[in-house]
Amino acid sequence: MAQLRGLLTYQGVEVWRHTRVLQWTLQIVSGIVVVVLVAWFFTNIVNAVQDREIPHGWSFLDRAYQTPIGQHILPYESSDSFGYALGVAMVNTVVVSVLGVILATLLGIFVGVARLSSNWLVSKLAMVYIEFFRNVPLLVQLFFWFYIILALPPVREGYVIGEGLFINNGGFSMPFPSATGTGAAILWSLLALGGLLAGRAVFQLLLAREINTGQRSYPLTAGLAAAVIIGAIAWVIISLASGDSPFVISSPHPEGRFGRIEGGFTAPAGMIVLLVGLVTYTASFIAEIVRAGIQSVRRGQTEASRALGLTPMETLRYVTFPQALRVIIPPLISQFLNLTKNSSLAGAIGYADLTNVAKTMTQTAPAVSIFLLIMAAYLAMSLTYSLIGNLYNRHIRFTGS
Amino acid sequence: MAAIPQSSSGGRLPPPRTEVGVLGWVRQNLFNSKFNAVLTVLSAAVIVLALVYGLRWIIAGADWTVIGVLGGQMAIGQYNTEAACPGQNCFWRPQASLLLVSAMLGMAWALAGGGVAKRLAIGVVVIIALFALLPYSFERMGMDVRLLLVANIPAMLAGWAIAHYTRMTGRGIAIYGVAAFLVTLLLLRGIPGVPGLQPVLVIYWGGITLNILLAVVGIALSLPVGIALALGRRSNLPVVKLLCVVFIEVFRGVPLITLLFMSQVLVPLAFPEDFNTNSLFRAGIIITLFSSAYMAENIRGGLQALHPGQAEAARALGLAGWQTTVLISLPQAIRSVIPAIVGQFIALFKDTSLVYIIGMLDVVEISRAFIQGNAQYLGNAKELFIFLALVFWVFTYTMSYVSQKVEEHLGVGQR
Repeated sequence: MAQLRGLLTYQGVEVWRHTRVLQWTLQIVSGIVVVVLVAWFFTNIVNAVQDREIPHGWSFLDRAYQTPIGQHILPYESSDSFGYALGVAMVNTVVVSVLGVILATLLGIFVGVARLSSNWLVSKLAMVYIEFFRNVPLLVQLFFWFYIILALPPVREGYVIGEGLFINNGGFSMPFPSATGTGAAILWSLLALGGLLAGRAVFQLLLAREINTGQRSYPLTAGLAAAVIIGAIAWVIISLASGDSPFVISSPHPEGRFGRIEGGFTAPAGMIVLLVGLVTYTASFIAEIVRAGIQSVRRGQTEASRALGLTPMETLRYVTFPQALRVIIPPLISQFLNLTKNSSLAGAIGYADLTNVAKTMTQTAPAVSIFLLIMAAYLAMSLTYSLIGNLYNRHIRFTGS
Repeated sequence: MAAIPQSSSGGRLPPPRTEVGVLGWVRQNLFNSKFNAVLTVLSAAVIVLALVYGLRWIIAGADWTVIGVLGGQMAIGQYNTEAACPGQNCFWRPQASLLLVSAMLGMAWALAGGGVAKRLAIGVVVIIALFALLPYSFERMGMDVRLLLVANIPAMLAGWAIAHYTRMTGRGIAIYGVAAFLVTLLLLRGIPGVPGLQPVLVIYWGGITLNILLAVVGIALSLPVGIALALGRRSNLPVVKLLCVVFIEVFRGVPLITLLFMSQVLVPLAFPEDFNTNSLFRAGIIITLFSSAYMAENIRGGLQALHPGQAEAARALGLAGWQTTVLISLPQAIRSVIPAIVGQFIALFKDTSLVYIIGMLDVVEISRAFIQGNAQYLGNAKELFIFLALVFWVFTYTMSYVSQKVEEHLGVGQR
């Protein structure tokens, strides 16, 4: 007995009372359990795939998908491959996600600031907005917008506002610049981008001057003017050189027997519904984050800046909001991720996003492979947002000089 | 220093009428600057327009009959249809389950001794009882159905009386809750061979009952699982930590709808063929796991915000590691993140509407399917979904209201 006890001691302590031994035993056991479980699931799946002759592997990616995709931003034909179709669906999701994030942030900041307004009526309006949109499932809201759009008249009887804006149950069409020639368009776009950068440089230079010398230098006006002038000069030169302006405004117009709208830019109904739903829903969460962030800035900051003669708007712009950003950014990023993930509800209202297309694909292609691909795609999107957010967060954090 | 204005009789003058009372309030809160005055006028215009057009539409423009036509299906889905429950009236089974819930509300009232629990218990049973007055014909909504709805009031009072006179503790109510949940499952599922309790397949369960059932399962299970994951993620055991981090990040990185759909395809493959799972079971598991990953992050935040001195003091007083965690760290951490936890519960309740992806007819999907199948109501879909939004809103707003009161009761932010 004593010998046995001696065997079961480690560093003079019985093993069942030795913390390190217990911890390692726990770890090894839990590790083994998880490995065994995963291996068991995996072998079950492999066996099932083989026994029931379920298609598997990755060769499907090169096969023609043969199924139409409702809306696509990239060009797409039914004869394109599965791999390319997944890419098209991914772009659909990314476009909605990026547009949604931008619009939801703007609306969210607006509502969040309104919630803190000293104006009782504005503050209560913002509160009603937040409490309503935050507490109702996104799916219900999406269906509501979906049936609103569906109730619009069909294309041929749709509303036309000012000969340019077409509103019908197929979507909204509006005039949009369209390139006349590829070369000229790209050249002008590059030059215009250069103009924007130059304008930004002018803005920063003059701003620094204004801060350092106290002289009125009108940085914003001068910067904008520089950008516009460079763009305009480039436009004139390219037009004179090629005999045609690089972009023309293409107006939508009904075409053919069914009055299908050609030209301009048409935002398909599914995309509008999804964007409106996602933006109004996410903005209510962002508004609460913005409110909490601004409230986290000490009152003394506001009081001091008002005492220095800044207007309430300037106080918000230059004192409160920059400090609030440090509190706002981390939860804001997680809202961006939520918006991206929520865009997977697109299937319910007939927008061809990644999940929706992948769901259709599983009928003709190996489900397991598709799942791995879309999980990787969502994870990649999440990581990208996190990375951008963390970089920005590093940029705005206290440097502590 | 300026002298205080005196009236001719020598007493102090009252403040100007523009500074106090209604006028003063309006001046201070609505017209305290030019900018605010413009904002006030603009928002007042928005409100008036919204009210005028909104009310006009609600009263004259909207056609709310679609809600009445759908009626009981929104409550229980296809549970009482001929296909689900041939030759019998099965409506009483979900209704009997509701009685158990009402009794539990009464018990909670007795335990809390008033306050928000009392208001909640009375409010809920009164609203349920009011449904008995719905202007349906007796053919569509029988007397038995109406009586069982009214019976929620005595059921709640009975719960109160039992808990009050037996001096029931919180643990007792928890045990009752688990038992009531199991009885509910048994009632809904049915027992083969027992007359009146013929089995009803899970695919026929639906309506708001399904949403509530899934939410209750998710809420009850995701908190403990989330706590375990949070502790695992913070532990200094590398293997446990790695497993928890991978689990949390994977479940947080993928949309719930994708997970649900994956479960539908993969679970039948991952388990042996004789292992039978139904969609309700799968949905419950996936929603729980998904929610617990978020819960873990909330609780981790609470643990991180806790001053390390708390744990150090507990250890110095001779508490073992697990005692420190269970008795000192966790209660404080959870208390400080109650809003986040309740927010997650609300999100979970809203997320139960996503089970449509695996073919379950929850209250949203059954409404959509009804519109889809009855083209004459296509134009009234707006009304139906506005109604659904209100239903969900009432539930979620109640949850956040109760949480605020619980927080006040616990004195969060005051100690």
